[in-house]
Amino acid sequence: MLLVAVTAALGAAASAAAAPPRQDVVLPGPVPYPTPNPPLAGKTAISGGFTRYVFHIASTERVLIGVDETGSPSSVRVRQRLDVGGRGDYQFAISGPIEDVLRGPGSDSDPGLRADQVLWAGFSPGHKVLTADVTLRPGEAAQYLPLRLGLERTGDGVTLTLTNATVTQELEYAGTTRTRQIASLLDRTRRTARAGERLTAAYATFYGLVRQRERKAQIEAPLRVEGELRAGSGKPVRFSGTLGDGEPLALVVHAPGDGTPHVTVTATPVPAERLLRPPGGAPTWTAALKRRPLPAPFLLKRLLESRMRLVRADQYQSFLANPDADGRSRSVYAYETAKEPRRRAVPAPASSDDDGGSPLVLLLAIAGAVLGAAAGLVAWAHS
Amino acid sequence: MRRGLFLLAALALLAAGCGKSSGSSDLGHVTVAVDVPVTGSPYIAQTIRQGLELATSNLNAGGGVRAGEKSYRLDVKLYDNHLSARQAVKDTRRALDANTVAIVTDGTGVDATWQIAEREGVPICITYDGGSGLVDAETRPNVFRIAPTNHGIAFRYAEYLVPKKPKVALLSDDSAYGSEGAADLDRAFAENPEAVAMKLTLPGGQSDLTPQVLRVKRSGATALLVWGQPPTIAAVLSAARSSGWDVPVYAPPTGADPFIRQQLADHPEWVDGLTFASGRMTAEVGTAPFESFQSQYESTYGADKVGVKTSEGEPVVQPPEFAMYAYDFAHVLTGAIIRAASTDPEKITAALNQVTTQGANGDERGFNENNHEGVVDDDVYFARFHDMTFAPVPDDPLSSTLPVIPQTG
Repeated sequence: MLLVAVTAALGAAASAAAAPPRQDVVLPGPVPYPTPNPPLAGKTAISGGFTRYVFHIASTERVLIGVDETGSPSSVRVRQRLDVGGRGDYQFAISGPIEDVLRGPGSDSDPGLRADQVLWAGFSPGHKVLTADVTLRPGEAAQYLPLRLGLERTGDGVTLTLTNATVTQELEYAGTTRTRQIASLLDRTRRTARAGERLTAAYATFYGLVRQRERKAQIEAPLRVEGELRAGSGKPVRFSGTLGDGEPLALVVHAPGDGTPHVTVTATPVPAERLLRPPGGAPTWTAALKRRPLPAPFLLKRLLESRMRLVRADQYQSFLANPDADGRSRSVYAYETAKEPRRRAVPAPASSDDDGGSPLVLLLAIAGAVLGAAAGLVAWAHS
Repeated sequence: MRRGLFLLAALALLAAGCGKSSGSSDLGHVTVAVDVPVTGSPYIAQTIRQGLELATSNLNAGGGVRAGEKSYRLDVKLYDNHLSARQAVKDTRRALDANTVAIVTDGTGVDATWQIAEREGVPICITYDGGSGLVDAETRPNVFRIAPTNHGIAFRYAEYLVPKKPKVALLSDDSAYGSEGAADLDRAFAENPEAVAMKLTLPGGQSDLTPQVLRVKRSGATALLVWGQPPTIAAVLSAARSSGWDVPVYAPPTGADPFIRQQLADHPEWVDGLTFASGRMTAEVGTAPFESFQSQYESTYGADKVGVKTSEGEPVVQPPEFAMYAYDFAHVLTGAIIRAASTDPEKITAALNQVTTQGANGDERGFNENNHEGVVDDDVYFARFHDMTFAPVPDDPLSSTLPVIPQTG
């Protein structure tokens, strides 16, 4: 699925015997994504059509995940804002395990709801903001969240484990390449990543046989996490870090104290940055190569796996789909321990103008219900 | 192509569900009731009924509608609500006794009839009245509408007029239609009070509104937005123009009612410049689908003649806008019957939330679980009269993209 050889630019017949065959191989990115989801898909939704080319849409999402005392998601909601550019009639459908949708703040229009679909329809005079607060069925949506939380009571406090849940295996190619070209491609990829842009298609030239590595690459969307953990009224512990991009894929945080744990975490998919940093403090990979030789297989592996990570990170930028497949999408995932169910307030002393809430009224109601049931029983017995 | 997302699926669904059955004798019958003010507002009643009948006769000619294993013929049964809620309640009860699967109405009495119909799970579709409280997907799950909403019209007017920096007098008559519209105008202009010169309720049914219009003129108003029945709009125009006041006059869909032009036929120049808001009749695909519908409608029932002529002496005809809404509902209903694979009204009501079909204007029509409105607010456009016919205004982004519908012949 990763790489597809699209052209076999063989040399001229005369030189074929002398030089190994050359192939331009497509590098990962911008698509396809390594797994079908995200973006989420609905089970019963009618498959969507295409968005007319006249529209350019930027999608910004804030995914709000309520977690229970063990860190498991108990609710998943998304506030999605679509900035629609372009003039004309539109109808967009965004599918997923959708339970409900409401108009979000600043929206110029109301969203519609069909089975597993949010619908937008109307006319855009040139620019339009469409914002929806979407409630998802947590059982189906949670499996595609990028971060897994584990909350555990340990000794003197509570321990939180954050795990990057975006790891997937991908096929990886190997073969003979020219280091200069690969270094140049690394530089180009790095520039794109640092600019926060989406990858554009690129090719690498392989000489001779192109083979697949036996071991698949373990690829993740690097996640920038920030948050706070507190145990009851204990002192909160702040934390931040990157999970992936050459850093560990998990982070463990401990907060001392008794009482109910409370955690807030935001996770943002970020481009691979560390893995694209040239070695030895060189400004570019090309410059690093000039300073000292770098093994071609190392460069190729770094290029392929960095690009795979960029693609994976791009995939998690759209938890709900952007109707414009080429549009810019950004998602932030915000986790927070769900509030405890509200406890009933202690009843206030009954007052004379209390409307039906006094113990006397309650007793009368119970007595009435008992009498009613008895009367019903008698009527039934005589029917 | 406008809103093409679900069209293929919807058309496939219809194609699978509509077709010749083995024989007409195998056909079952389902009844659709149309409850309209035949003796209160005959033009509206006639155009709604004819739109519905045109659609059902087309569908029947194609073999009816298939629900599961059986095909059904759609029969239309007409009831006259006399513009009376009490009569609408009686009609609804009779329609339910006749096992109707859906009720199409102008909107009269829906506040009273929806609960009666809901007990049987029967959907009601409003194809004229845009009143804000009539449709609520949550509290009135069986009520749908294909017609521009008052809310949408009021907000589109605010969006259209406020940037022009006029001093608008918001006038409404004392009919239910007028007071509902006034409430929506209040909400729409609430954020721009500086744009409002005054608000005034006009007595309905009076042909002379000269004193009221004079009062409005003295308020410094530079534009009139009149939300009322056609006679009220005609009376305001008459009062303003006869006094030499060439103030721009804006109106809801009733501004396009033939009655106004008939009333002012002796002074066609008084109608010039009257602007009304309504639902667009054409989609981005162009005029062809609507013209095809109009042609079919007119060849079946004859053109809806307004009863006035242009300065060239050509008779003016009214495009079948509200007939289109009833026509479209029949198709959405058919899609729902096919999807439900049943003629059980409750199942049909549920399926109405999930289907989209192609409307007479080439646009898609459908409802959804949160919104039972078949005309979105964005589809409200503005048109201005000149020489007894109207054309979309050029100074509104949507309207400026719309073609002129032929209105003579």
